[in-house]
Amino acid sequence: MKVGESLVKMVRISKNFGRVCALKDVDFEVGYREIVGLVGDNGAGKSTLIKILTGVFPPDAGEIYFEGKKVFLNSPKEARDLGIETVYQNLALIELMSVTRNMFLGREVVNKFFGLIPVLNMDKMREITTESLKDLGIDIRSTEEKIVNLSGGQRQAVAIGRAIHFGAKLLILDEPTAALSIRECHKVLDHILEAKEKGVSVIFITHNIYHVYSVADRFTVLDHGIKLGDFRKQDVTAEDIIEMVRTGQVREGICNS
Amino acid sequence: MESRRHSLLFAQLLGSIQRCPGFEALAGLVVLFAVFSFTATRFLTLESLAGIVTVASELGIVACGVTLLMISGEFDLSVGSVFGFSAMVFASLSNVGVPLVIGFVLALLVAFFIGWTNGLITVKFHIPSFITTLGTMMLWRGVLLAWTGGFGVRFWGKSLFLDVLNGQFFGGFRASALWFVVLVAICNFALTRTPYGNSVYATGGSREAARLLGIPVDRVKVVNFIIVAVLSGLAGCVQFARFASVDPLRGQGMELEAIAATVVGGTLMSGGHGSLVGTLFGVLLIGMVRSGLVMSGAPAYWYQAFVGVILIIAVIINTKLREWAK
Repeated sequence: MKVGESLVKMVRISKNFGRVCALKDVDFEVGYREIVGLVGDNGAGKSTLIKILTGVFPPDAGEIYFEGKKVFLNSPKEARDLGIETVYQNLALIELMSVTRNMFLGREVVNKFFGLIPVLNMDKMREITTESLKDLGIDIRSTEEKIVNLSGGQRQAVAIGRAIHFGAKLLILDEPTAALSIRECHKVLDHILEAKEKGVSVIFITHNIYHVYSVADRFTVLDHGIKLGDFRKQDVTAEDIIEMVRTGQVREGICNS
Repeated sequence: MESRRHSLLFAQLLGSIQRCPGFEALAGLVVLFAVFSFTATRFLTLESLAGIVTVASELGIVACGVTLLMISGEFDLSVGSVFGFSAMVFASLSNVGVPLVIGFVLALLVAFFIGWTNGLITVKFHIPSFITTLGTMMLWRGVLLAWTGGFGVRFWGKSLFLDVLNGQFFGGFRASALWFVVLVAICNFALTRTPYGNSVYATGGSREAARLLGIPVDRVKVVNFIIVAVLSGLAGCVQFARFASVDPLRGQGMELEAIAATVVGGTLMSGGHGSLVGTLFGVLLIGMVRSGLVMSGAPAYWYQAFVGVILIIAVIINTKLREWAK
């Protein structure tokens, strides 16, 4: 695959934390309208790779291309401005603030007072929040509700709703189903497929291989900071992937794309 | 059935109280007002009220900044030293013939610089602001004492500018009350109606989450350190305008009073929650205690003890209300 053909291309990424090698020469790619499952055991380097892609910290070595252009991501804001939206494991919600304020945190809708002072347009933001959460089938009593009063599933829904609403090009989900009930899980998986329908690419990080297997087009398996390989869904079974994650080895005969 | 409806009503009432910022402090204010009206004969006069407002306003200008900073998750113990230092800069420059407006601006610039260093040290070296500002509190107080040799400064001239800062304008009320109200309005607006306010709440609510959402948390904190220092400097100059004198111990203990007023007003010490309306009531409450006790005939020493008790009761009530409302 040439650079121009994929949405994201990360080349030979390495990252050390002190003496610990978190990633070594990892290549990672996401195509347009593709759902990629990023899997591996704890400490495999999944979160590190994602944090590099979302600008939380820079890689020690390697290059990142987004839509064919080389990019240097110095902050989460820069990644967001490119159209990379992330639902972090901790959800990145502010518990004591309302759903609406959380939805628009860092990119509020404003009117300019005297063409100078930005003033929040709360009505507009409330309206958009209500609508986009309803679109996703997310049920919340009031958008004025503070996050602290919501259930785990509702919080997850708000975080995903926010990412999908703003996520123009790439949606990254870090363990999105970890704390959810079975019904909520299926909703999240549906949201992921809907996002793809809308033309968004998705990176799905999880321990639950069965969840990711049901929606992903391709899998990238990491083990102790090294990439074991990329596998298209038609070439592997869910059990094969579990085996790889468990043993850290690729069984002979599995086609590495 | 009837009792269930009552408890439901009670819960709803608690819920709406929760949404009214500063309600608890307002309730405390009303209760104390009633008590002092009985115990102190001359309490219900215009001069007495003006006295309360004057004390509250000077403290309140500082507390506005303290509230902003506390909501973003930090403390400033150096406000009292900045208060005294800026006032001394203002007074000294005025005495050597520098135009008052220029002296005033320079005094605020000094405060700006102190606030900026407080913020930078805290943010760059990742140390608790409690420690940073404990250090700078002692540092600037020490510099002030060394510089003045412990002597105060009087200003003999008269000036329109001092009247603008803190002149009497009506029945004992002073200009500081106007400045205070204007500042509460501006800060309240910034906090609740602008993107900056959102960043302040988010930074204090969850630094990590705010950072992931692209909010420049360090810059928000530094800006708030600067705001609180400049407001403390302003308050120092305002008080100098009232007394036309300043001594090097001016503002000592103010840091704790400002924090007490802010917390009584319902702002969370841990950050992420609070309001300026609450702080407004908090400083009025503390101002009222100060004059009310004296007018009731209690020795002035009791003032601190009383504020301490009120602080603890207020926090207990706030915490309970929050638990019940859940």
